[in-house]
Amino acid sequence: MRRVLLPLLMVAALLMPRLVSAHDLFPGFLELQATGASTYQVLWKLPLLQGQRLPIAPRFPDDCALQGAPFSRQEATALVYQAKLSCREPLEGRVISIDGLASAGTEVLLRVRPWQTEALQTLLIQPEQPEAVIPTASEADQQPGVWSYLRLGIEHILLGVDHLLLLLGLVLIVRDGWMLLKTVTAFTLANSITLSVSAVGIVQVPAAPLNAAIALSILFIGTEVVRFTRGQTSFTLRHPWVLACGFGLLHGFGYARGLAELGLPHHELLLALLLFNVGIEIGQDVFVVLVLALERAFRQLQIRWPVWVRRVPAWTIGCAGAYWTIETTVSLIKGGV
Amino acid sequence: MPLLFAHLMQTGFGGFYDGIAHLFLTPSDLLLVLGLALLAGQQGPQGGRLLLTLLPLSWWIGLAVGQLWGLDLTLALLSTVLFTSVGVLVALSLRLSVQVLAFTVAGSGLLFGLINGFTMPSASSGLPLDVLGVVSAVALLSVLISAQVAATRSTSFCIAVRVAGSWIAAAGMMSLGLLLKA
Repeated sequence: MRRVLLPLLMVAALLMPRLVSAHDLFPGFLELQATGASTYQVLWKLPLLQGQRLPIAPRFPDDCALQGAPFSRQEATALVYQAKLSCREPLEGRVISIDGLASAGTEVLLRVRPWQTEALQTLLIQPEQPEAVIPTASEADQQPGVWSYLRLGIEHILLGVDHLLLLLGLVLIVRDGWMLLKTVTAFTLANSITLSVSAVGIVQVPAAPLNAAIALSILFIGTEVVRFTRGQTSFTLRHPWVLACGFGLLHGFGYARGLAELGLPHHELLLALLLFNVGIEIGQDVFVVLVLALERAFRQLQIRWPVWVRRVPAWTIGCAGAYWTIETTVSLIKGGV
Repeated sequence: MPLLFAHLMQTGFGGFYDGIAHLFLTPSDLLLVLGLALLAGQQGPQGGRLLLTLLPLSWWIGLAVGQLWGLDLTLALLSTVLFTSVGVLVALSLRLSVQVLAFTVAGSGLLFGLINGFTMPSASSGLPLDVLGVVSAVALLSVLISAQVAATRSTSFCIAVRVAGSWIAAAGMMSLGLLLKA
């Protein structure tokens, strides 16, 4: 039985990262700045997923038309288009939809600055309802606005299989409650620091080496979990909070990159950043609590896993880390920094 | 569509989380899993282990068969009777034999999985993440609740478990009343 299951599990662990790709936050971004009563400056960021354009595009009301050829440029993970939009009537109170959003499975953050006002309205357009009504000035106060960043933070961590695997690894190598608190706190503080300094533009880290380093951190934690399950020890197993601090700094840059692609609203910069960070922490804490609760439940049910089953999480983390490390390093070598 | 049944909802977090939300937003499914977890926990750690093994597996099989058939069967009466009966068993705090518990768990999982399969379209390609989400949520809830019930010896906690069972039974009876009236 074991001879059959062991190779099967290893194959599954090797295939897993291919099936569940090391995500990134890939929402589209549409900004409409009124330059007149019914004219707008349009900024459209079309996300690139593994170099491919996501098949999504904004659809404006029929009486609106783009003026001239749109200007475009390519960024690391998005194509950016800028154009002028002219409508017969103002867009307030009217519907803007995103074609292809349902099948692409991503979201679009829409920001609108109406004519002769500083108020910036933020809306999140989701696949299940790929359209939004541009709020009028009186409705603007009732919009979730900057709160969308909280949801984006939670989403970023819950869909970030790479970040979750690192957290799982950290939880698995810590046995003592006090040490776990220290480790989780170190991770949180560290990623908050780099998220903040990177999101406001103080430090810029190129995407390709960052992805490779994040992948390598997962491979490293995988080997540490294996060492732990074998009853061995190391500096990081004795002081996991040091490891958590270092990797927290690294993963904070990863969190910030997704946020940087969206751009932060300047007049609500701190609040948006704080909410995004809180969202990430909520997601991380929920995951850690869940892992601990499951572990406790297995103990209560007196389930005694065979040794090879106890090693499955370590293999999964290690194999995924190895796969992503190779993949991101190849991209790094091919594409350069 | 009966009151206590829901189609797959979309959370915006992707198929896996849609599947998890489906369980928590479909009262009949949620009440059944809660009832079975309480019942299995009352039987001790062995009951919890049996539940963890059989319920997600049978749910998955039922779901796959339901998706394969793609029929829109109305099994509301049967499923409501089922979770009502589970609630009654919890309220009575009966000791069940392993065979009876295994039959109840597997039968319930198959039936509710089948109903889920009718409401969830099968994925055209790739991993059926919504199915994975539902089954994961079923397994998670089963293990967390049954373990807590099995491990706690406090008399007041045991009474609380029985009260929870009676509420599940009461919810089932109200649903039955509404179904029969409709």
